[in-house]
Amino acid sequence: MMKFIRSKDTRWLSIWVLSTLAVWIWDIVFLNKPALHKVFNGFFNTFIIAILVVVFTLILGWMVTVLLHALQSRTNRAPYLAVTFLMNLIRSIPQIVGILFAYVGITLLVAGSVITSKALVFIIMAISMSLFIFLELVDLMRDRIDHFTKLDFYSAMRVCGIPERRVVNFDILWKNSRLHIQNKLIAVLGYAVFLQCSVDFIISVGLSTEVNEVTLPTTLGSLLAKIDSKQDILAIGYTLTHPGYTGHLFFEHLQGMTVAFLIVFSLVSIYHIANGYAERHRL
Amino acid sequence: MSTAHYSVIIASKGRTIAAVDDFSVVRNEISFLFGESGIGKSMLCKAIYGLLDPEELHITVNNMPYRAYLNSPETRGVKQSSFFVFQEPSSHLYPLTRITGQLREGSIAGSAGEEEILSRLWKTADSAKLKGILDVYPKPYRPSGGEKQRILLAMAFKKIALLATAETILPTFFVFDEPTGSLDNNYRNLFLGFLFEEYRKKPFTAMIITHDYSIISEVYEHHNSLIDKIHYKELTRIEEGRVRLHDFSPDDYLSWLRQTKTHRPMSAAPAGEVVRVAPEFRIFGHDHRICRDAARTQTVDLVIRRGEMVYVKAPSGVGKTTLAKIIMGLYRPDTFSMTLCGRAVTEATQRSFFEQEIWGRRAGMVFQHADEALDLEATVAETFEGLPLGHKLTHEELDRSLAELFEGGVTEAFLAKKAKFLSGGQKQRLNLLRTIILHPDLIILDEPLNGLDFESVRKIIAILEEKRKSGSALLMISHNEEIFDALVDEEHCYYLS
Amino acid sequence: MKSKLLEHLAGIAFVTFALLAALWVITIASGTAQRKQQAGMERFGDLSFIDFNNPFERALLRDVINIYYPGRSDRNDSLYNAIVKYKQKEFADKLQETHVAEGLSLQKIIEILGMYVNFFIIFVLVMVLTYYGVQTMAVFRFAYKKRRALSPASSASRKIQRMVIDFLAGLGTLLLFCPAYVIAYSIRTEFNTDTVVFMVLLGVISNGVLITYANKFYSFLVAESRKGYVDTAIVKNMNAGYRFHSADGIPISSILNPVKKFKGHVFDHIFRNARFQYLSTIKEQASFLITGLIIIEMALNIHGHLNYEMLRQLLYKNYSIVVVMILLIFYTVKMTDIFTDYLIHRENMKYENTNQ
Repeated sequence: MMKFIRSKDTRWLSIWVLSTLAVWIWDIVFLNKPALHKVFNGFFNTFIIAILVVVFTLILGWMVTVLLHALQSRTNRAPYLAVTFLMNLIRSIPQIVGILFAYVGITLLVAGSVITSKALVFIIMAISMSLFIFLELVDLMRDRIDHFTKLDFYSAMRVCGIPERRVVNFDILWKNSRLHIQNKLIAVLGYAVFLQCSVDFIISVGLSTEVNEVTLPTTLGSLLAKIDSKQDILAIGYTLTHPGYTGHLFFEHLQGMTVAFLIVFSLVSIYHIANGYAERHRL
Repeated sequence: MSTAHYSVIIASKGRTIAAVDDFSVVRNEISFLFGESGIGKSMLCKAIYGLLDPEELHITVNNMPYRAYLNSPETRGVKQSSFFVFQEPSSHLYPLTRITGQLREGSIAGSAGEEEILSRLWKTADSAKLKGILDVYPKPYRPSGGEKQRILLAMAFKKIALLATAETILPTFFVFDEPTGSLDNNYRNLFLGFLFEEYRKKPFTAMIITHDYSIISEVYEHHNSLIDKIHYKELTRIEEGRVRLHDFSPDDYLSWLRQTKTHRPMSAAPAGEVVRVAPEFRIFGHDHRICRDAARTQTVDLVIRRGEMVYVKAPSGVGKTTLAKIIMGLYRPDTFSMTLCGRAVTEATQRSFFEQEIWGRRAGMVFQHADEALDLEATVAETFEGLPLGHKLTHEELDRSLAELFEGGVTEAFLAKKAKFLSGGQKQRLNLLRTIILHPDLIILDEPLNGLDFESVRKIIAILEEKRKSGSALLMISHNEEIFDALVDEEHCYYLS
Repeated sequence: MKSKLLEHLAGIAFVTFALLAALWVITIASGTAQRKQQAGMERFGDLSFIDFNNPFERALLRDVINIYYPGRSDRNDSLYNAIVKYKQKEFADKLQETHVAEGLSLQKIIEILGMYVNFFIIFVLVMVLTYYGVQTMAVFRFAYKKRRALSPASSASRKIQRMVIDFLAGLGTLLLFCPAYVIAYSIRTEFNTDTVVFMVLLGVISNGVLITYANKFYSFLVAESRKGYVDTAIVKNMNAGYRFHSADGIPISSILNPVKKFKGHVFDHIFRNARFQYLSTIKEQASFLITGLIIIEMALNIHGHLNYEMLRQLLYKNYSIVVVMILLIFYTVKMTDIFTDYLIHRENMKYENTNQ
C-alpha cells in the first residue's frame, strides 16, 4: 500500500478517484435529484468519449506509424511524401476548429436522421476528436522507431533474419516503447477531456440553435454552459469580494461547482498521473 | 604503501545495484581494474569519487549516508584535485561549445602546458592541424571517437599538470574509465607512456578501468620500472548485485596468451569459398583497400573458406565495421564487388536480396555492443523467437544451446529473465548465441570480446574455435590485436586502409 | 531550410485551394438543394388570399385541400404541413436576411482583417510571455528542487515551510489548469473581462498551456542534467551549487532575467541544451496557444473578436466569411511554423562548423 502511494502516478490516481467519490457523496446528500442526474450523465458521457478517443488514437496512431515506416523504406518516395504532407496539413489546422467543424457535421447527420444510435454518436465524436490528436502519438512512435533504427538494435535483429514487422511491432513498439505509449495515452485522455469540454462549452454557448444537447450527448462542457451552472460559477467571483459567501458555494451552487471541479481536478490529476508515470519509469 | 578501503552499497527502488565490502584503492599508485561490463566498476568508482546523485540512488560509503560522504572534507578535497575520464567520449563533450572552450573551463582553465599536452596526445607539433581538430563544435562523427577520447584525456592531463604546481601531495583519485576504448594500440601506448611519465614526476592515485588485457603486456614490456607501483584488480560477482574486488594475476593472462599462440590451429586444408571480397571499394566518398601486408602496399581479395577464421586489422575509425556492414548488405557502397555463398554481389544489389537470401540463412553478424544489439526488454527465451530456423525452437534445443555458453545449467527462471538483468558477459554470450544457433555459412564478429572478463574471453574463444572446426567461416573484427594475433596466423590476417 | 519552406508554401497553397473549392461546392450544393426543395411549393406559397398568421384561415386551407382531393387525407395532411413549413421558412429566411445574412464585401474583409490584426497581436504577446514564463518557471523549479535535494529539511519549521510552499504550488497548478472560460466566468461579475490585457493574461495562464510546457522544459532540464557532459563539467569543478545567494549557486536575478545566462555554472550547459531542444516544441506550443485563444474568444462571446465572429458566422451559415477566417488562422499557424523552422535552422547553423 505504501509503495502504491509513494509513486506519484498511483498516488494521484488515488487522490482523483477518492476526491471524485467524495464529491459524489456530497452531491447525493445536498444536490437535487434532476441536477445530480444531469451531472452524473455529463461526467459519464465525457469520460466514455474521452476513453474512446484514447482507443481510436492508439489504433490510428499505430496503423499510420507502421504504414509510414513501410512507405519510408520504399524506393518510390511519392506515397510516403503524400502521407506526410497530409499529416502536416492536419497538424496545421487548430484542433479546436477541426473538432468544431466535425461536431457541426455530426449534428447535421443526427438532425437529418442519418445517425440514430447514441452509441454511434459517441463513436463518431471520438473518432473525429482522435483525428486531430493521433498525430502526437504517431510522432512519439516514429521517434522511438527512429531511435532504435539508428542503434545497432535494428540491424542486429534484421541480420539474424528476424522479420521487419516483428522487430518494429514487437521489439520496438511493444517491448521497448509500451511505457512511452501508455504515458502519451494518459496525456491524450486529459487532452480529450479538455478539448471535449471546451468544444461542448463553445457549442452550447454560441451555437445553441444549431447544435445542442438534443442532438449531442450532455457532457461536462455543455453542462457548464447552462445558465444555472454559469450562475454557480459567477458566484465564485462573488466570493472573491465577499468571502462570507463561501459557505453558500457548497450548498446552493453545487451543480456548477461540481462540474467545474470535475473538469479542473480531472485535468490536474491526469497531468500529475502522466508526469508521475514518466518519472517512475524514467521516460 | 597506504590503502584506502571503501565499503559501498548502491541501491535503487529496493534493489541492490552494486555492493562491495572492501573496494581498496592504493593511494598514490596506479591500479588497473578489470571485470565484465555491467558489473559495477564505473558506478563504484563514481560513488567513491562523489559523482552519483543521492536523490536518485540510495548509497552508503563506509556506512556513511552519501550526502554526508559528499560533504566530507576528504571527498571535497579529492574532487577538487582529481579528474574522471568517462567512458563514451561522445556523450561527455558539450555539443554547444567549441572544444577549445571546453578545454579551458572550470579549474582546468588555469592549467599551463595545454599546447604540449595536445601535441603529445596527437603526436604532432602542427598547431594548424590541432586547431582544425579542436576549434569545432563536437558532432557525432567529428572529431572522431579516438580524437574525442584524447580530448577528455587532455583535460585529465591538464588537471595532473595542476598537481605539479602544488607544494604538497594532494589527495587524489584520477579515474580513467575505458580510456583506450576508442584508441588504436599506437595511441593507447602513447597515453600509457604519458601517464606513467607524469606519475614519475609527482605521484597521484589513479584507477584505470579497462577490458584491454593486452595493457598488461605493454606494461611488462615497456614500463617494467613501474611494476611495483602498478596493481591489477578484478571485480567479480558473488551474487545478484554483490561483487568482490580481488587481485588479478597478470601471469594468468600472459601464460594463457603464450599457450594460445603455441596451440594455434594449423592452416586449414583448402575448402569451399564462402566469401570473396574485391580489394578495393568506395563508401561515403572514401576509398578503401584490403591488403595482405601491414604496410598496406599489396592489395588482395579478402577470401574466407569454410573452417577458416580470418582477422581484419585496421586502426580505429578506418572502417572495419563499415566493411562488415557492407558484406551484410546493411550499408550501400558507392563501388563494391564480392561473391557471397556463390552469389555475385555489387553496389547495385538490392537490400531485398539480403533480406530474402542472406540474413539469418547464409550469413549472420554479431554486433559489437550487446546492450544495443539485444532487445533488453525481451526475456532470454524471447530473444530466440522470430529467428528463421525453419521450425519453432524446442525447449530442449534452447536448453542445450544455452547450456554450452551459460554455466550452472539453464533454469526456467533464467529463460524468463529479461536480458537487461543479465550481466555484461552474459549479454555478450546471448548476443553471440543468437547468431551461431542459426548455423550460417558465414559469421561476422565485430569486437566479440568487448566487455568480457578474462574467464568469458576464454570461453568465447573456445566456442568460436568449435564453430570454426564445424565448418563455419568466421570473420573477426577487433582492436584487441594481441589476443587475435595469438589466435589467427598471419596468413589469415588482412589489413584495411 | 529551402525544402521546409517549399513544403510550407505547398501546404498553404493546397489548403487555400481546398477551402476555396469546398466553399464553392457548398454554395452550389446548398443552392441546388434549396431550389429542389422549394420546387413546386412556390405556387402554394403564393396564395395571397390566405393570411397564414390566422389559425382560422389555415384550417380553412386544410378543408379546401380535403375537398379538392377527397379520400386522400394522409397525402393532404402532409401537403398542408409542407405548405405551412414553407411559409415559416420563408418568414425566418426573410428575418435572417435582414439581420444576419452577410456576403464577403470589401467592407467585411476590412472588418475581418481588423479583427485578425487584433487576434494576431494578442497571439504574439501571449507567445512571447509564454516563452518567457515557461523557461522561468522551469528553471526556478529545477533550481529549487536541486536546492532541496542538496539540503533536505532538518528542522520541523523547515518541513512545515516546505509543506506550505507545496500547498501553494498545488493551488497554483489548479489555477493554471483551469480552462479559460472557468476562470473568466468566475470573475466576470467583479472584473471587466473584455479587455485585451485580460485576454493576454488569460491566454498565458489558463488552459494548462503554461504549466504543460513549463513541465516539458523542466523535463528537458532534468534529462540534460543526467547527460555525460554535465559529469565532465562537474569534474572540471565548474560551479554546481543551486542556492540563490551563494557564490557557486545561481542568483534569482539570472532566473528572472529574460535573457538567461549562468556563466561558469554547470547549469549554463544544461539550460542552453534544453533551450535548444525546446525550440522544436514551439510549433506545437503555438498550435495549443491558438486553440486556447480560439476557445477564449468563442467561449467568452466577446463581440468584435475574430473567433467569436467566426462562431457567429458559422451559426448564420455565412460560409464565405467563415472560410476567410479559417484561412487567416491557418496562415498564422503556418507563419509560426516557418518562423520556428527558421529559428531552429539558424540555431543549428550556429553549431555546424561551417567556417571549418
